[in-house]
Amino acid sequence: MAEMQNSNPTILNAADLPTRLRPTATRKSEYSGIFTSALPLTPVDFESAPSSDSEDDNLLEEPIDEQEIYDLISSISDPEHPISLGELAVVSLPDIAIKPTLPNVPDSPLQTVTVLITPTITHCSLATVIGLGVRVRLEQSLPSRFRMDVRIKEGTHSTGDEVNKQLADKERVAAALENGALMGVIAKMMETCH
Amino acid sequence: MSALQTFMLVVDHDKEEAKRIAEGIAHDLETKKATLIDTVQSLGQYINDEDPILRGKAISYLTAIIQALSPKYLSRQQIQVLTTFFCDRIEDGGAVDGLKTLQGLDRFNKFLATQVAQALFSNFQDLQSRSQTQRFHVYQLLNDLMSNHRGAMRDMGEISLLGVVDIMTGEKDPRNLMIVFSILKVIMVEWDISSHVETLFDSVYNYFPITFRPPPNDPYGITAQDLKGRLQDCISSTRHFAPHAIPALLDKLDSTSPNVKKDALSALIACIHSYDPDTVSRFSITIWEVLKFEILNAQEEFLSETSLEALQAITQRLSEGVTEVSQELPLAKYLQPITKECNEQLQEPQNKQAKPSQSILSCVSAASPVAFILVVQTVVPPIFTLYQEADGIIKQRALLETLSVLFESATSVFGKWTTRGGEAAIENPLLEFKDQFSDLFGQALMGAAKEEVSFRVTALKGFLRLSTLRDFFQENEIGLFVQYLDEILLKEESVGRNDLKKEAIAALAEISKHKPRLIVDITFPAFVATLPEEDEEGSDALYIPTLETLAQISVERDIFETLFRRLFSKLSVLLQKEQPGSVAYPRAILVTLLYVMQQRNMEQDQSVDLYFEKVVVGLCRDVAASASGKAKNRILNDPTVLDTLGRLCNLLVRSVSTQKQEQVAENIYSLFSAAEDFVPIPFTQTTNADQERTIIISTYLLAGLPKDNSNKIPHTNPDMSALLLDLVHRSVSSTEPATHQAYLRHLALLTNKFLSKQDVTIAEKLFDGLLQGQDTESQSLCPATIRTIFWLSKALILRIAPTTTHVLTSLLALLSSPDQQTSATAAQCFSIILGEDDILSATNGATIRLLCRQRLFTTVIPLISSRIREVNIAGTDDSAAAPKAPDHIKPAHLTALAGILSTIPTALVMPELPTLLPLLLQSLDLQTADSVAVRTATLDTLAVIIRDNGVAVIDKCGHVQSLVTRLLKTTATNIGPGAVNSPRLRADALKCLNLLATHQVPGAGANARAPPGISPLLPVKTQVLRSLRAVLDDPKRDVRKAAVDARAAWLRGVDDAPEEEE
Repeated sequence: MAEMQNSNPTILNAADLPTRLRPTATRKSEYSGIFTSALPLTPVDFESAPSSDSEDDNLLEEPIDEQEIYDLISSISDPEHPISLGELAVVSLPDIAIKPTLPNVPDSPLQTVTVLITPTITHCSLATVIGLGVRVRLEQSLPSRFRMDVRIKEGTHSTGDEVNKQLADKERVAAALENGALMGVIAKMMETCH
Repeated sequence: MSALQTFMLVVDHDKEEAKRIAEGIAHDLETKKATLIDTVQSLGQYINDEDPILRGKAISYLTAIIQALSPKYLSRQQIQVLTTFFCDRIEDGGAVDGLKTLQGLDRFNKFLATQVAQALFSNFQDLQSRSQTQRFHVYQLLNDLMSNHRGAMRDMGEISLLGVVDIMTGEKDPRNLMIVFSILKVIMVEWDISSHVETLFDSVYNYFPITFRPPPNDPYGITAQDLKGRLQDCISSTRHFAPHAIPALLDKLDSTSPNVKKDALSALIACIHSYDPDTVSRFSITIWEVLKFEILNAQEEFLSETSLEALQAITQRLSEGVTEVSQELPLAKYLQPITKECNEQLQEPQNKQAKPSQSILSCVSAASPVAFILVVQTVVPPIFTLYQEADGIIKQRALLETLSVLFESATSVFGKWTTRGGEAAIENPLLEFKDQFSDLFGQALMGAAKEEVSFRVTALKGFLRLSTLRDFFQENEIGLFVQYLDEILLKEESVGRNDLKKEAIAALAEISKHKPRLIVDITFPAFVATLPEEDEEGSDALYIPTLETLAQISVERDIFETLFRRLFSKLSVLLQKEQPGSVAYPRAILVTLLYVMQQRNMEQDQSVDLYFEKVVVGLCRDVAASASGKAKNRILNDPTVLDTLGRLCNLLVRSVSTQKQEQVAENIYSLFSAAEDFVPIPFTQTTNADQERTIIISTYLLAGLPKDNSNKIPHTNPDMSALLLDLVHRSVSSTEPATHQAYLRHLALLTNKFLSKQDVTIAEKLFDGLLQGQDTESQSLCPATIRTIFWLSKALILRIAPTTTHVLTSLLALLSSPDQQTSATAAQCFSIILGEDDILSATNGATIRLLCRQRLFTTVIPLISSRIREVNIAGTDDSAAAPKAPDHIKPAHLTALAGILSTIPTALVMPELPTLLPLLLQSLDLQTADSVAVRTATLDTLAVIIRDNGVAVIDKCGHVQSLVTRLLKTTATNIGPGAVNSPRLRADALKCLNLLATHQVPGAGANARAPPGISPLLPVKTQVLRSLRAVLDDPKRDVRKAAVDARAAWLRGVDDAPEEEE
């Protein structure tokens, strides 16, 4: 690999990254502390244990939100370091937004996801690759009613406008994805996605 | 024909015969029928022959004879003559072997050894042009000379040194090299090599790095690692090599191949361990300068780890014999640039390269007490300064982490409180900063904002390390830390994932191992004080977290005794109250005791008799009193409390002496109470629900008893038939679920564990009797009866009673009952048979025969399979010839199948897979809400099958397409009226799809690539990707996540044919 451009970036602690908190069991009957191991449940007989997810829970819809987008992309690895984009603060929760694509058509299901990328240094030549990686990950993981808008955060990159033009140009993106070597790099970045 | 001629004729094709001839001659020589002179002379006509092969055979003849002679036969003079003879003809075949035999004789002397060596060196200049076998023999001879006549060889000095180097130069065969390296190593270590260091070094270093790869089925079994090991032994053999070896090895670190770098590093470490400290010192800084880059810019994790190991090895070598700290020490000079570099990197401790710097400090400081002092002296003071000036909590956290790393080293150098022996003679340098650390970490832990969880966790971990470090903190200082932890647990609100509290509990548990008194004196009073007198209805059960914490820190023996006393007295108070509040509280107290007892080994506990008296005897008596309505409250009438108490009794009964167990056996039903106070259950007519509930406790007591107590159990004389019959009646007619369950298990326990072999028929008759209870018209049975039948069957099948097959076919017949209710209930009960049970368990000594699972599976599966086929055919056949079976029969069979599969290891399932897969696929075709459980179980089974065996097994049965289609159907949300795919089902189906893509090769882990050739998944790839795209919009987040993962796995793992590249 060529000389690294930024060999010593700041790293956030994985435990400090934003995560979705599971709603803790509030009802007493759903106690899930350490004592569950002391009292193993009686064997599942299909009659007495009705399926755990009740009707109400099943009908409750959980729309795609910013945290979910963050979870999709924060585990992508940086092409330069074997460290995730989340830990490098290249992507961060406040820089993700989901808005209706057509605000004037209230019934339209179309939504636009905007992701702003903060390169670790202002002259990072890999910013385009990172942007593409994020875009590919989102395209593979979001339903077709979503539009992606992946951009470099303003003022964080010396040639941000140029990179943005490249990332926004559908044909250039498509052409880039035909490039085997580039796809190899992107596939490697996404191997750590979980 | 002479013996010689015969020998020469047969030697090539009949080794045995040749050997026999030689032995004959040897025998003649030993019995003086022939002389050695004649034998040698008989060779005359051949040994000067033109043909080297003939000459060789003749020499071999002599060699073979010598090999056959007894070791004492040859005289000194004869040996000398023969040696000279062989040396003259050393190039002829067999001579080398002859010499090898001769040099092993007692009368072979030093002079002769020199002569042989000379002959070897002067005649085998061209050794490398000879065959591998010939070379091998020469090396073997040399090797034997080296081991048997080392003095002689050494006295030859540089003649032998250069001689060996000369003849081995150019050797390439791994088998030969193994010998060559070991010969050379002896020379390197024992010869005076000062004037030939470079020659000798080059002779071995030329082989570095070893790239040998053994051919498949290599008969010699020499691995690259064997060769690497011997070569490394040579390189590291003598300090004289250092000026050549160390720079050369460091150069190899420029290689692009990680394997070469790895070999170079491990050779380097070997050199560090083997060369003397002065030599190591001379190169120490050079080595650091090079390894620094490997660690700071780690390419591969293992390279940086090995580099760290090398740095630590140097530190250890340089610490040898050093007892006093001085800046003039070679150790100090070596550590100076290291600590300087680390200090620089730590200026920005939150950056990426601070981590490797921490690792460097960790490995060098843990190497020895003196090294630890030197590191602490230079590293700790600047950290304090940086900490004070730090502009953010992230930086401070990284600094605390760095200190923690040093504390960890201190622990490995100075030990923990519990470490025995090995006191360090040197004072811990951290003591100088003790108060500062206590302030700093205390402040970080308690003074930081509550939401800075990871910062506080770091502080907590550091503080914990210091608290367990031997002879560091005073009791009161650790006590302060314990108080902090108590405060966190008792007063603070939970933040986020509750990490801080979890760590605090773990820390208290750790301290309890080192300083149990502090826990008993500080934590216990604080925690027990927060436990309420009673649980008022509607309160949020705040006592639960407190009890959880207490349970986790009370595993140590002394602490547990305190816990028991405190909690037992709480419980006793509760039992005496007129209004004790919710039963959840006493139950939680019992669960706490149960949890801790399960963690400990109660059989070894000296206080177990005390616990037995209090809990088993005392509380059981209270249960009996409560059942007769003589208690102050109804706590001990509650089924959930009784269940927990029962488990506690069960554990204790298993842990006490045989005598006590017999006492329990006699009191199973009377529960240790006097006859006039309480009417025990079996055979009484006048029982109320409260009294009946005591069977729960009785069942747990019975489960804890060993088998041989059966004659002590009441009501078992002359046999158990009356008792069993009574229990059957009670379980069929009981209405309360908990009591009903207890009766069922009680019945099963007696049948399985205590019923003697000859009495099994009693239970079998009961079984048949129950089945005949069917209503003749509707052929229906009530659910309670069906459950009784199944539990009785479970008891019989687990011990593989003689009528097992009859039992199983009778159970299957219930599925075809025209009564829908009977059929469905029976179907659901199939999971009972092999299901894990807390009472009828191996821990409790139930009779569970090894083959019972197999027996059940192989009996039942073919029957289910053929029955379903019958139903299917009858369904399609419109003619009235075969009466159409009721609709419920097929689902019932599939439900029964799912129940069985969920209780059977997949290894058993695999041989039946071709029969089974179609059934599983039909299960997935069920769509209604009440089939959700069946489908979930089916998907679980499929997931295990795919994970353990890969796609190939499914492909072999030809079901990939149909499986994938059904899985995709199960992922859909809207599939028509009456059909239900619960979120759990959708996610499970996606998990199976994911597993298909990641487990295309059997047994391989995740991410295994598809084998060469076309994946069986390829034909369905497009279909899967298209369907999953829709699932990405599922309303449930967990399902979407599973869909994303499955889709990524298919995109990555299922290879397209090249022209279809996306």
